[in-house]
Amino acid sequence: MSVIAPKFKLSEFIKSLLDNAFWAVLILSLIGIPAVFIVLFFIEMPVINGEILTPFLALTWIADPSRTLPIVKAFMATDIFRVMVFPGFGFAALLAAGTIFIERKMLAKLQLRVGPFYCGKFEGILQLMGDGLKLISKEIIIPAKADKPIFWAAPVLFVAAAAAFVALIPVAPGWVVADVDLGLLGVFAVIGFFPIITILSAWSANSKFPFIGGIRALFQMVSFEIPLILSLLGVVMLTGSLNLSEIAASQSSFPWIVFLPIGAIVFFITMLAELERIPFDLPEAESEIVAGWLTELSGMMYGLVQLGTYLKLYAFAALFVVLFLGGWNGPMVVPPFPAEILTEGIVMGPITAHIPGLPLFTQEMLNGTLWFVLKTVAVIFFILLPRGVFPRIRVDMLLNLGWTKLIGLAFVNIFIALGLLYAGVLGPGGLQ
Amino acid sequence: MVGELAGNYSTVVLMFGFAIVAMAPALVISRMLSPRKRSNPVKFLPMECGQVPSGEGRTHFMMQYYPYILMFVVFDVMAIFLYAWGSSLLEIPKIATLPMMGFLGIMFGAMAFALYQSGRRRIW
Repeated sequence: MSVIAPKFKLSEFIKSLLDNAFWAVLILSLIGIPAVFIVLFFIEMPVINGEILTPFLALTWIADPSRTLPIVKAFMATDIFRVMVFPGFGFAALLAAGTIFIERKMLAKLQLRVGPFYCGKFEGILQLMGDGLKLISKEIIIPAKADKPIFWAAPVLFVAAAAAFVALIPVAPGWVVADVDLGLLGVFAVIGFFPIITILSAWSANSKFPFIGGIRALFQMVSFEIPLILSLLGVVMLTGSLNLSEIAASQSSFPWIVFLPIGAIVFFITMLAELERIPFDLPEAESEIVAGWLTELSGMMYGLVQLGTYLKLYAFAALFVVLFLGGWNGPMVVPPFPAEILTEGIVMGPITAHIPGLPLFTQEMLNGTLWFVLKTVAVIFFILLPRGVFPRIRVDMLLNLGWTKLIGLAFVNIFIALGLLYAGVLGPGGLQ
Repeated sequence: MVGELAGNYSTVVLMFGFAIVAMAPALVISRMLSPRKRSNPVKFLPMECGQVPSGEGRTHFMMQYYPYILMFVVFDVMAIFLYAWGSSLLEIPKIATLPMMGFLGIMFGAMAFALYQSGRRRIW
C-alpha cells in the first residue's frame, strides 16, 4: 500500500491542530467579539414580551424553552434569516447539494453503473462530504501568467451571482428574500451577469482551453437570452404583473403551462442552454477542450464553481415552477397544528408544558413549501435526465436552434397569449 | 410598479454580499490547509494536455459570431421594451394593441432579415 504522507508525524499533526485552534481563539476574541458588540450597538433589537431583547436577556432566555421560541420567531422575521437560511442561501445550497448527489446516482443507474457507493454506509450517501474535504485540502494552482485578482474573484462572484438569482425566487406566500415589483426584470439582469463572470474567468487564466470555452459560453448564453426573455412574455401578459410572488399567486386555479405549453418548452430548452447542460454543454465539452472554461480552476475554486452551477440550476428550476407550474399552489395536505397544544399545552405524564410561540410556521407556509419543493425536484429531474440520453450538438446547430426556431416559437407563444386574452378565455371576465 | 424604491432591492445586494462573505473563507481555509510546494518548473504553466505550451494564451480565432452580436444588441433591448407593454396589457384599451402588432411585425421581419444576412458568410 502506498503511503500518502511519508513524513507524517502524529506529534506535528497535533501541534498544527493546536496552532490553528490557538489562532482561531485569538482572532475570535480580539476581533470577533468586539465586532459583535459594535454590530449590536447599531442594530435595533426586537421587543419580546414587552422587553427589549438585550444580549444578556437573550442569553438567559435561550436556556428556557418557553422563552426561546419567541426569540427564534423574532429572528425568523428578520432579513438576515431569510438571506442566510430559509428562502435564501441555506435552503438553496441544501437543494443544490442534494441535486449533485442525485445526479451522480441517477446518471450511474441510467448507464448501468453503481455510482458513489463506498463513502458512507448506505449507497455512498457521504460522497458529497468526502468530495468537499478532498477539494478543500487540494492545492490551488494558478497559471503563471494569470491575471491573479480576477482569477481569484471569479468563482466567488459566480456563487454570489447565483445567490442573487436565488434571492428573487418566492418559495411560499410571503417567504421571499426580495419581494420586488420588477422581479422578473431583476432575474434577467442577474442572468446577464453569468456570461460576464465566465468570460472574465476564462480571459484571466491566460490559457488556451479556458479561453475557447469561455468564448463558447459567452456565445451560447448570449444566443439563448432573447428566446428566454421572449418566452416569458406570455406569462407576464396573462398575469399583468412582473412581481414573481403575484405571478405565482395568480395560478391558484390552474398553472400557466396548461395555456402556454409552447412557452414552457422554449423556456425549458433555453434553461438547459443557459445552464450549460447536455445537449448544450459546449463550453465544458470534455472530449474536445479538456474542461472548457473550468480547465485551470483547481481545488476549492472548482468546488465553488460547481456550487454556483448547481445553485443556478436550482434557481432556474424554481423560476420554471413559479412561472409555469403554479409555484406554491397545491391541495392542502399538511394537517393543521393541533389546537389542544395551544390551549392545554403538551402533557407528558405528570408534566404539562405550556409553550408560547407555537406554531413556529403557519399551515399555509408548510404546505406551500412542500408543493414548491416537490415541483422543483420534478423539474430538476427533467433537467438532469437529458444528460444520460442525448449527445452534444454542434455550435452551428446550437445557433440555428436558438436564433431561428426558438425565437419563432416564442413569437407564436406571444400570439397564443394575446388570443387567449382577447377571446375572453382568460383575463377579466374569463376563467378564474 | 410606480415609485418603487431602489432600497427594495437591497436584499438582493445583501444576498450577493452574504454569498461572498460566506464563500471567500472556503478559499482562504483551503489555502491554509493545502500543501504549497514550488518544486516543479512546469507546474505553473498553462494546461495543454502534457505538452509544453507554445504561443500566446489569448489567441485570436475566427468564430463568425459578429452578426449575432449585432442582432443581440438590438433585439435584447427591444425584447425588454415588450415587457412594458405586456405587463400593462390588461389596463390599456384594445385598440392600443394594433401599433404593438406593427412593432412586433417590424421586429420579427427585421430579425428574419438579419438572420438571412448572417447566413451569407462571405459578407462578414
